[in-house]
Amino acid sequence: MYAVEFKDVSRVYVNGEHEQRALDHVNLQLEQGKFIVILGPSGAGKSTMLNLIGGLDSPTEGTILIGGQDISKLTNNELADYRADTVGFVFQSYNLIPTLTVIENVALVKEIAHDPLSSHDMLKAVGLLDHKHAFPSELSGGEQQRVSIARALAKNPKILLCDEPTGALDSETGVMVLKLLLSMAREMGKTIIVVTHNQNIAKMGDVVVRVKNGKVVYCEEQQNPLSVEEVDW
Amino acid sequence: MMLKKLLRTLLRYKAQFISMAIMTALGIGVFLGFSMEWRTLEVNTQKIYDQTGFADFRIYDTENGFSAEDAARIAALNGVQDVTRFASVNMSAQNTSDVVALTVSENMAVSGILLMEGEKYDPESEDGMWLSDSYAKENGIKLGDTLTLTYKEFTVTGTVKGLIKSSEYLICLIDDTQLMPDYSSCGYVYVSGAMLERLVDEESQKLLDANPLYRLAGQSRIEAEKTKYLNRLFMQINVKSTLTKAELIEKADAALGRTCLVVSKEETVSYAEVQGEIEEGKTMVSILPVLFLAIGVLTMVTTMHRITANEKTQIGTLKALGFRDKRILIHYSCFALVIGLLGTLLGAGIGYLIAWYIMRPDGAMGTYIDMPYWTLTAPWYTWLVIALIDLMLVFIGFMSVKKMLRGTAADALRPYTPNRVKHLALEETKAFKRLSFGTKWNLRDCFRHKSRSFMTLFGVLGCVILIVGGLGMKDTMDVFVNKFYDEAINYSVRVNLNAESAVSEDDPDGARESYNQKALALAQKLKADWSSQFSAQIGDQGYLIEIYDVTQDKVRFLDDDLEIMTLGDEGVYICSRIARDLDIGKGSEISFSPYGSDKNYTVKVAGITRELSKSVVMTRAYAEKAGINYTINALYTDETDVAGDAIIQNTQTKQAIMDSFDTFMELMNTMVALLVLAAIVLGIVVLYNLGVMSYVERYREMATLKVVGFRDKKIGRLLITQNLWLSLIGIILGIPAGALVLDYLIKALAGEYEMKLAISPFTYIFSVALTLGVSLIVGLMVARKNKRIDMVAALKTEE
Repeated sequence: MYAVEFKDVSRVYVNGEHEQRALDHVNLQLEQGKFIVILGPSGAGKSTMLNLIGGLDSPTEGTILIGGQDISKLTNNELADYRADTVGFVFQSYNLIPTLTVIENVALVKEIAHDPLSSHDMLKAVGLLDHKHAFPSELSGGEQQRVSIARALAKNPKILLCDEPTGALDSETGVMVLKLLLSMAREMGKTIIVVTHNQNIAKMGDVVVRVKNGKVVYCEEQQNPLSVEEVDW
Repeated sequence: MMLKKLLRTLLRYKAQFISMAIMTALGIGVFLGFSMEWRTLEVNTQKIYDQTGFADFRIYDTENGFSAEDAARIAALNGVQDVTRFASVNMSAQNTSDVVALTVSENMAVSGILLMEGEKYDPESEDGMWLSDSYAKENGIKLGDTLTLTYKEFTVTGTVKGLIKSSEYLICLIDDTQLMPDYSSCGYVYVSGAMLERLVDEESQKLLDANPLYRLAGQSRIEAEKTKYLNRLFMQINVKSTLTKAELIEKADAALGRTCLVVSKEETVSYAEVQGEIEEGKTMVSILPVLFLAIGVLTMVTTMHRITANEKTQIGTLKALGFRDKRILIHYSCFALVIGLLGTLLGAGIGYLIAWYIMRPDGAMGTYIDMPYWTLTAPWYTWLVIALIDLMLVFIGFMSVKKMLRGTAADALRPYTPNRVKHLALEETKAFKRLSFGTKWNLRDCFRHKSRSFMTLFGVLGCVILIVGGLGMKDTMDVFVNKFYDEAINYSVRVNLNAESAVSEDDPDGARESYNQKALALAQKLKADWSSQFSAQIGDQGYLIEIYDVTQDKVRFLDDDLEIMTLGDEGVYICSRIARDLDIGKGSEISFSPYGSDKNYTVKVAGITRELSKSVVMTRAYAEKAGINYTINALYTDETDVAGDAIIQNTQTKQAIMDSFDTFMELMNTMVALLVLAAIVLGIVVLYNLGVMSYVERYREMATLKVVGFRDKKIGRLLITQNLWLSLIGIILGIPAGALVLDYLIKALAGEYEMKLAISPFTYIFSVALTLGVSLIVGLMVARKNKRIDMVAALKTEE
């Protein structure tokens, strides 16, 4: 059973008379517990892919199986439950709730997840326990992204979805965040899917998927992925 | 191009745009409507006062009346412009219980008439009658009809030659117990002095035919008696004068050689009530529209800020493209201008509708004031105020854009960042830490967006004030009617007695005593309580003095708390208005002098009562102890068959009094319904506008919650909860505020009725339920939008 399986998936956006085919009959199988990097230029369809896996969007055609479960026909509420239990998100722009403190942002998932982890432990793991009562606006970008990672993992999801997680950070902070993300996810045995246009991140992936014009043009398992330290940033 | 952009921006923010225009329209509409109400009343009543020569003063001598010489003496006084001898006798019409005042004004330039239809008034006509057009309409009387009026054995028959209105009867009430005019049973008719003389001649002739011996007194004695009789019918001299009341009293007393009651126009129903209505209108203008406009303007500040914040990148783009700040400022200020202009247009319509609804012959005011003209007029400054309101709205828009334009083009291009979240002092408490994340989220959001939260609170407050005010007014009125008319009036019929025979120049005490014996005998026969009522001067004001003998429990008295009380025999009881006017209370002493008498009585105040008329009441026992002479002039009984006794003048049933309330209560119900409707509109508009704003401001946060896995329902619940919290606080503050406003309104608008604030539990429950209901419905309307949150787009946007 694959962690993620796309069967002839298309996603078409209609804007007036104009039709944009973001994904065009994509077939893809991704194994569990791997670090998968989806690469591609802007508008290639990589974020659409991530959104479909995350249940933020539904395909126009085809079937998406996550851990064997077809999520393409789920209702709104079922999708919400799916997001609550199965996937964790890390965005480029962090998307923390500004009116909740750091610990509250992480503890938020307790309201919905069935098997949440301790928010205290999560914050300790990302090294922000000292800042637990601060508001997001009182933290640096790197710190905010670490909170975002803690929140995503606190749900104890099967898959961690990251959309340009280092895109808004300087390279030094980006490396640090990436290292943390990978070490934590691997330790916890999660499948990690990272969407990026950064070729360096691709060097670290167990699997690299290249997307162009809405199609998967390449999907290969790397024999010797590099560690964060080995990559020349 | 920019115009197209403006129109599209308006379309984009249509919810805010429409709600702001409605708020502005409501404020302007209520302001214009009530301003027009009082101004229309002022202008149109002034017109009839001028056209019919409404008198500035009325000099009364109810015992002897006035001779033509008396009138000439008053006319000759310095400062007196014109006078008329005036007679007004309440008669029964067409053998019914209708009361029609037979009226004669010798000089029609004073206290005259305005012809609405028919022949011009003829001072020589001996059979012409100029009848109240409202009474004629209600009773199907037409020009040329014959009308017969009777007063004891005295019968007047004439032909209706004209239908008229008169400022003297602008509010035509039988007495103080009647709240609203009822033209189906009460009216007035003017006849000429010549006709009155003919009637006196005919009466004299009848007397002489019945008693031929009277002729022995000689023709000159007969003529003198006839003149005396005629003079006694002219109980009033009505005066047009620029003198003050005190000056006229002094001059008139000296000229007439006796003390007479002088009543200024301010003390007459037809003037005082109209002025009261005008003042009430002004008071309404100072409360309701201010409430609406304050909410409108404050909502505008919040809304314009939000809209310009949303448009900040567009504002920055225009700036970066090379548009001058001035052009951008004008462009976005136009948004506020369009709201202002549309609101003004709609508001003017609402204002005219309110004014038209109240100020027309069949409208609320038409049932009370019998005006000939109903031309809607607005005070001159109304339009200036409206222009200023529009200017203020534009200024608010201008300032909001100016804030976004600050700094360089690059600064302007950066998206708007809301206030940083700050730690609240209460976060240190244990209780706060135990709160759910939703509660914390909402609490911090309220503090972060203080102006939005404050506006929501203010909107709910306004909504509750209107509901409590409207329903409370009805409760207060119900208690008033129930207490005064159901409990205090415990009789079925009030019998007014004709106390003419109690007056004798030769033996005043004997005549009074003999008359009182007859009245007492009648009271005993009818198992009635009785009263004696007369006017007296206390200080420089005239008040009613009432002496009661209550043995049958037909008349009851109310204390200051509107509870039934028993009058004691150790002093007089003053009504709360007199207590307020004279600044006296229990234990004080007052002196009064009955009109037409040179006696002065000093009495002790034993308590305060609530009365319909401004009066001093006492028991017969106390009156006798204080040596006060009285003449019984009213009986209160449950016997309905009371006719037949010579001393009975007329009767008035409790049912007739109660019937006159129907119109009054209908008006009250309409007004309450309008207030509640206004409250609902206000609540919906304010809460929806701010709810949408809250939704837009938290869009990204809600998208995040949705991505994390929160269901739409749960997110919606968070939004609704905040709305409900603010509504609850608004209700908690609004209920006492509503009671305070109502108390002020009752004192300002209905001070003449001695009402006492009463708010029923139903009003409280209904206010809470309705406000929470409105808040919940609006919350649900906004929460439904959650389903349309585009998570992908929302989370890609830079904050």
